[in-house]
Amino acid sequence: MSEKVIQVGHRDIRIINQEFLEALEAGHSVVVTDTLSRHNLGVGLPRSGKIHFDGSVGYYCGGLNTGTDVRVENNAGWGTGEAMSGGIITVNGYSGMSTGAAMLGGLIHVKGDCGPRCGVAMKAGDIVVEGNLGYQAGFMAHRGRIIALGSAGPSCGDALWEAEVWVAGDIESLGVDAKIVEPEAEEVEGVDALLKQLGLEERFRDWRKIVSEQKLWYFESRDANSWLMI
Amino acid sequence: MCGIAGRILNREGEVGQDLVELMDAQAHRGADSTGFAIYTKPLPEGGKVRLMGFDRRNLNSDLDDVIKILRNHGSDLLTDPQIDDASSAHYSVRLEAKEPANVENWIAEADLISNRIEVLSYGISLEIIKDVGDAEAVADKHHLRTMQGTHGLGHARLATESDVSPKASHPFWARPFPDVAIVHNGQITNYYLWRDKLELQGYRFMTENDSELLAVWISDQKRKGLSLQQALIKSVSEIDGVFTFMISDLNGIGLAKDRFAMKPLVTLESEGELIAATEEQAVRRIAPDRWDVFNYDGPSMTQIWPLHTIEAAA
Repeated sequence: MSEKVIQVGHRDIRIINQEFLEALEAGHSVVVTDTLSRHNLGVGLPRSGKIHFDGSVGYYCGGLNTGTDVRVENNAGWGTGEAMSGGIITVNGYSGMSTGAAMLGGLIHVKGDCGPRCGVAMKAGDIVVEGNLGYQAGFMAHRGRIIALGSAGPSCGDALWEAEVWVAGDIESLGVDAKIVEPEAEEVEGVDALLKQLGLEERFRDWRKIVSEQKLWYFESRDANSWLMI
Repeated sequence: MCGIAGRILNREGEVGQDLVELMDAQAHRGADSTGFAIYTKPLPEGGKVRLMGFDRRNLNSDLDDVIKILRNHGSDLLTDPQIDDASSAHYSVRLEAKEPANVENWIAEADLISNRIEVLSYGISLEIIKDVGDAEAVADKHHLRTMQGTHGLGHARLATESDVSPKASHPFWARPFPDVAIVHNGQITNYYLWRDKLELQGYRFMTENDSELLAVWISDQKRKGLSLQQALIKSVSEIDGVFTFMISDLNGIGLAKDRFAMKPLVTLESEGELIAATEEQAVRRIAPDRWDVFNYDGPSMTQIWPLHTIEAAA
């Protein structure tokens, strides 16, 4: 696979994103330079290929990704991988607020810490954070897993639906309607397998799994017909 | 959505240019109006007065009235007024004046004509400059890039709570305290509650902008004897809404952030200098090769960055 270098600088983001698409579809791997933490880089990437941002990126990098392997050398801003449905996004540094917001699939791997509301309203997929989770991790997350090797900040798992937040370190406080449960052995195996796949050290971790207490699920019937009457 | 910025230099330098860059990079966060609070070389005596008049046709008479009020309070001009030469109905004026006998009494009288000409700031160092338009437009009109100083704040406003006008722009001076300014990104949801309380205590509001509340609220806390740090900490529990605000005085810049951690701030600190902005990409304008930034992303955060000028340390 040949490598194509694309420079960002102060050029138009639409043109740059178009260049990414053309290069990836032509079978090149892409190295992006002079990123300047600019927003909306690599939004709407295709089902395959590799792109390496050699610097920090701004908001929404890798948003709507369908399958590309994205690597960010330094930090990422808000909404990294928002609504992505496939592929892997790796952030070597810090990833800002709402990482993986509303994601539908794929994997986000943050090697540093994550900002507030990591995985907000995510629908599926995994977010692995080697550092610490910020405030309200997993806020209103529907499904999928958030896995933190470090600690979790305040209000962890606030208003969760069916998603899970796994924390190996300390939990500052739980959010509304969140509870800690003992994970099943096979669930731990699944998490360990994912971490191994990411090249992380295999060792015992004192996992706490945070799920919804379901007290906010005030409706008694899950029969959709009853809601159609409203 | 607004954008804010702060800059501290470790020696007097091109702080105007840096703040223009920081705000130009964030123009997309709000191009309704842009403003700056710049701490220029302190005057050995007297203070700098920044004014905004609203009808250029009455410039001479309105300016005469302002000067008359200054003289009523034992002050007088130290330099000729500098007036912008734009064609807009509103206009800006810079004065250097002998310190009034009592700043609070002077500003109380000056505010009586604030519907015609308003005092935007007063202090030995602080100069507030604000206008409609983006950073480029405001910088060109008011020659911001050539302003030398030690530190300052910037703001790009997307008007959500009140009208688009030069008057409703940020920063706001924490009147009557000299050299204190504030910029804010967010919405204050108990604005009317606090405004009513503060008005009953005799405070005046110049605009309908909820951000102005923070300047008045901080003034009230300072009057009650709280330090800046104490006031910032108290603001997190007393002010409702989603906000990140920065406050500046002669000694540096402070920050307070709401309990919901909604409004970001990214900083880069190095060798006694600070670059702070709502977005990291703005920080890149000043430090393109540095990525060791700190994100003030958590809830209920406060911080003070003191000024460490080489001159002050020497």
